[in-house]
Amino acid sequence: MSDQPTPRRSQNADEVLDLLLDALLERNAQRRRRAAATQKPAPAKAPKPEAQAKPEDASEPPPQREPRPGDADWTPPPAVPTMGLHRLIWRMLLAVLVVTVLINIPVTRYGVSLARILPDKQQLVVRDGLLLKGSGPEVYRLEDEKLRWVSSLDAFHHLGLAWDDVHQVDDAYLDTFERGEPIHVLLKCRTSPHIYRLEGDQKRWIKDMATFRVEGHQWDEVRFVDCDYLDSIPLRTPIPASAGMPPDSN
Amino acid sequence: MKALTVIESILRNRYQHFVAIRDGEDVPTKLRAMLLSSILLAAVYGAVLGSSHSVLQALSSAVKLPILFLATLAICSPTLYFFQILFGSRQTIGQSFCLMLTAVTVTAVLLVAFAPVVLFFLLTTADYQLFKLLNVAVFAIAGLRGVAFLSEGIKIVAANEQGAKARRTVVRAWVLLYGLVGSQMAWALRPFVGAPSLPFELFRNLGGSFYANVFASLGEILGFWTVH
Repeated sequence: MSDQPTPRRSQNADEVLDLLLDALLERNAQRRRRAAATQKPAPAKAPKPEAQAKPEDASEPPPQREPRPGDADWTPPPAVPTMGLHRLIWRMLLAVLVVTVLINIPVTRYGVSLARILPDKQQLVVRDGLLLKGSGPEVYRLEDEKLRWVSSLDAFHHLGLAWDDVHQVDDAYLDTFERGEPIHVLLKCRTSPHIYRLEGDQKRWIKDMATFRVEGHQWDEVRFVDCDYLDSIPLRTPIPASAGMPPDSN
Repeated sequence: MKALTVIESILRNRYQHFVAIRDGEDVPTKLRAMLLSSILLAAVYGAVLGSSHSVLQALSSAVKLPILFLATLAICSPTLYFFQILFGSRQTIGQSFCLMLTAVTVTAVLLVAFAPVVLFFLLTTADYQLFKLLNVAVFAIAGLRGVAFLSEGIKIVAANEQGAKARRTVVRAWVLLYGLVGSQMAWALRPFVGAPSLPFELFRNLGGSFYANVFASLGEILGFWTVH
């Protein structure tokens, strides 16, 4: 019971607080009048509580802002002494250069360097002409978002492709693409009128020009080869299959 | 190595550097030193960039990156110079170019400061799009810091001159122009990194745009689509 404040004490405290508040308000009003008399613009923001709590500071002139770069009265600070930063930069440049050279030195028997040694599946930029190979021997060329099987080594060379450009990928990745028409190469030797389509390591005779066109071939697919070479390629069913055997060799 | 001393003067005593330019002290010497430094630094960073593709690409990027910076500067500097003159500048073209070259030098230094980080990602990730975007971010940070130096320099050089405020506004607009020209120039001179599935090319055709490509790469990294 003894630590409970009595009503009389509470009343005294209220009176003291009222007096303090009155004094603060009066001081504030005086300061405003002084400011108006000197015709200085009123501050945009309300005075901070600390400023109100310390009215004795109000008579002091507001602190001057430090001149900043670009101000008329600004002077640059004194220069700091050198610490040989140029030597550090030089060494860093040399270090970066040495590392760059080192990571470009081939480290495998295939001539792959450290900079390019990570498997490149994620690095593929899907584009027309991209060459892909799965777990099988087939090489595919991407055209119009369709995978076209390059049907023979001759076709591969005929198209001017290089093995370095073939990217080994997972079969599942190949399956994400639609399959397009295979890419064949047509072989012909100068002494024979016949045109053969190479599929894998076998040739197929194309019966006539009508079939040639129906199969969607064009003359720029025809590659002239040595007759002996053409002779050496095993013959498979002709196109169409009912055409029988070609009339003579080659 | 002597040319690199200008970098310390820019980074640690930048106010003295700008005041010296304002007062026309040693402007040709400063120009030479900054030109050499920025070419050297940009070339090294270019070599790092191109290493992700091939040795040829590294050499090509080492030549193309300094060209990118200096050509962009050459294209944009008359605009800034004449607008500064229009708004009361009393600087010579040499002083103005010196200020702009300060921005390029700072950018080049910061690029080299990022080089170990870029090398680390080059050796530890095979994701081409990520590597490309990392470099876009590095270039953006270094470039922004570089033009901030230019802005500060103009503020100091333009002090006590007529139209100082208008000239600061001009610099802000010019920074935007510089960014646009720079990104288009980078697109025209590409590839710098080199797509892994493409053979080495000195230049690529001009189709597309820098911003569309960055957006597409971002989409691929986030898994929205595949860049074709």
